[in-house]
Amino acid sequence: MFFFTYLRRELRRRMRQAVVTALGLAVGIGLVITVTALSSGARTAQGKVLGALFGVGTDITVTTATAPAPGGMAQITPEPYVQHSDTLSSPTQGTMSASAVAAIARLRDVSAAAGGLLLTEIKTTIPADNAPPPTGFQPPVQVSVTGVDPGHGALGPLAAARLASGRAFTASQPDAHVAVADAAYAAAHGLRAGSAVTIAGARFTVTGIVRQAAGSNAPQLYIPLARAQALSGLDGKVNTVYVQAASAADVAAVTGEISRLLPSATVTNSASLANSVTGSLKTTAQLASSLGTWLAVLALLASVAVASLLTVAAVGRRVREFGTLKALGWRSGRITAQVMGETLAMGIAGAAAGVALGLGGAAAAAAVAPKLTATVQTSNTGQGGFGGGLSAGGGIFHGTVGGPVQAFANPNATHTVAVPFTAPVTVGAIVVAVTLAIAAALIAGAAGGWRISQLRPAQALARVA
Amino acid sequence: MYELSNVTKNYQKGRRTIAALRGVSLVIGDGEWLAVQGRTGHGKSTLLQVLGTLDRPSTGTVSFAGRDLAQLREAHVTRLRAESIGFIFQAFNLVPTLSAAENVESALIPLGARPAQRRRRVTAALESVGLADRARHLPSELSGGQQQRVAIARALVKEPRVLLADEPTGNLDEDTRDEITALLEKLWRDLGLTLVLVTHDSAVARRAQRVAIMHKGRLSIRHDTRRAAQ
Repeated sequence: MFFFTYLRRELRRRMRQAVVTALGLAVGIGLVITVTALSSGARTAQGKVLGALFGVGTDITVTTATAPAPGGMAQITPEPYVQHSDTLSSPTQGTMSASAVAAIARLRDVSAAAGGLLLTEIKTTIPADNAPPPTGFQPPVQVSVTGVDPGHGALGPLAAARLASGRAFTASQPDAHVAVADAAYAAAHGLRAGSAVTIAGARFTVTGIVRQAAGSNAPQLYIPLARAQALSGLDGKVNTVYVQAASAADVAAVTGEISRLLPSATVTNSASLANSVTGSLKTTAQLASSLGTWLAVLALLASVAVASLLTVAAVGRRVREFGTLKALGWRSGRITAQVMGETLAMGIAGAAAGVALGLGGAAAAAAVAPKLTATVQTSNTGQGGFGGGLSAGGGIFHGTVGGPVQAFANPNATHTVAVPFTAPVTVGAIVVAVTLAIAAALIAGAAGGWRISQLRPAQALARVA
Repeated sequence: MYELSNVTKNYQKGRRTIAALRGVSLVIGDGEWLAVQGRTGHGKSTLLQVLGTLDRPSTGTVSFAGRDLAQLREAHVTRLRAESIGFIFQAFNLVPTLSAAENVESALIPLGARPAQRRRRVTAALESVGLADRARHLPSELSGGQQQRVAIARALVKEPRVLLADEPTGNLDEDTRDEITALLEKLWRDLGLTLVLVTHDSAVARRAQRVAIMHKGRLSIRHDTRRAAQ
């Protein structure tokens, strides 16, 4: 076909210009793909962090501040004899009445609400007053135990967990002596489905082993909420409410409604949690979304400008050729189509090279990127979910053998999660990039076409005569 | 074929207005060979461009086959040019990336002819100028005379009613000039074309039926063999 023969020959004749134009477009497209991948990777990593901290299915958590204990600590007075202590308490979070859960569940735009108790079990042996530590003395042991509502399995800390073996709670076990163990804890203590575990002096049967997302700092044991309330002496109390909004669009509204309902409570949604995230992950996400986007836009605009200028310049060099074609009876539109065909071919080549560059750029960025970290100030944000359990496990027990033993909470516990960075290139990003390349080529072709339409055949022939 | 009445053509060059054609009135008969001579810059090429519908006059009327060209829209003029007017240029103006056959074929593209028909007509046109064996050659692989033959084949392939040649032998040596002039004369006779040929070369001009002289944009007939024959 004449159109393609002419197109092919012209591209071959102007190979250097075609390569420069295609490369210019390729750099722009490659940057768009790389930046999109980096941005997507940062978003995914952020989502993973937030998902791990927040829990799947949960849109909002409600907590209250810890009621200050005298001196901010629990006192254990040494006695003349050895004491064994195994307590379950909520040292870092205040509690609220379980009726708050029902009140929240009744709010408009709330799909479901479930209460939870994030507790810390502390097992310790207190030596006799002024006596030296006995042989085989063990330092205090902490276990994070979370009471979950078996009737709301889709909400709360267990919702995000993957069952590794056994089974999770069923709605018919609201008050049973059954427990679910975290896989890491189970491995460390040789637990499996059917094993027995003692919590605050009560014996539980492990029914299942679950695995949480990496970096989530999950509770070590889960028991039914009613059991947790009974063992911790917090009957009718919860310290975290997990809320699911009717839709994602309602999260902000529901957050406001809960704040009005419970003015003293801390209401946290994924957006406010995201704001509290700091560290290299946040910096990378901000860089990718601001500087990276601008860089990609500038590169794309520059490549469009270069392609347009080169095309207009090429038309300028082909004035006699186009003038002759006009003299032969070719319409301006037909000549413009020929030029646009040439730029389109360059655009397609540029898009192909750009996709390759983008894939390479994204892979290189992911390969050389250091492991990113995200830090969440758990106590200040007061979020429930795994953050609450985290602060409880943040090193809260200081003991002096032979003296007064104090258990107190770290009021500003932070949780740092290392996040492996990936830069995924999606089909959507490639489609957008290819579309941009073709659009850029067509813009360049249109610029050349405009130049051709300005050309009178007589002028074109006279200029070179 | 053509009827020009009091045609002027002015160009703006900065603040200056240059009158390339000044009141040119001329009738060119169907099948006539008119040679136009004159010094450089005196309006020969401008006259040819007006005749070829490549440019429109500033004032006056140009009729082609009884139709006033000023009344035609640009699309119609382009169509008229594609169907009825063939051009030959001094610098050949072949597309350098296309072969001889493809250059000839380019004249048939605006006519929308089918590929098989185009191939047949291209082959016949190249045969008529004696270049059937050079069909696949690029212009850079052909001599000046051969390139001008390709340009002639390109002008004739669409079977035009008018052939407008602007210094067709200006870039050729004497032998080739004679060869090309003889070819044009043969085609003019065989095909019954109207031929308007701009040339500096009196030897070439003498073979035309009429010779017109352009001087400072004005046209005068110097030699008319038709009258002599009558």
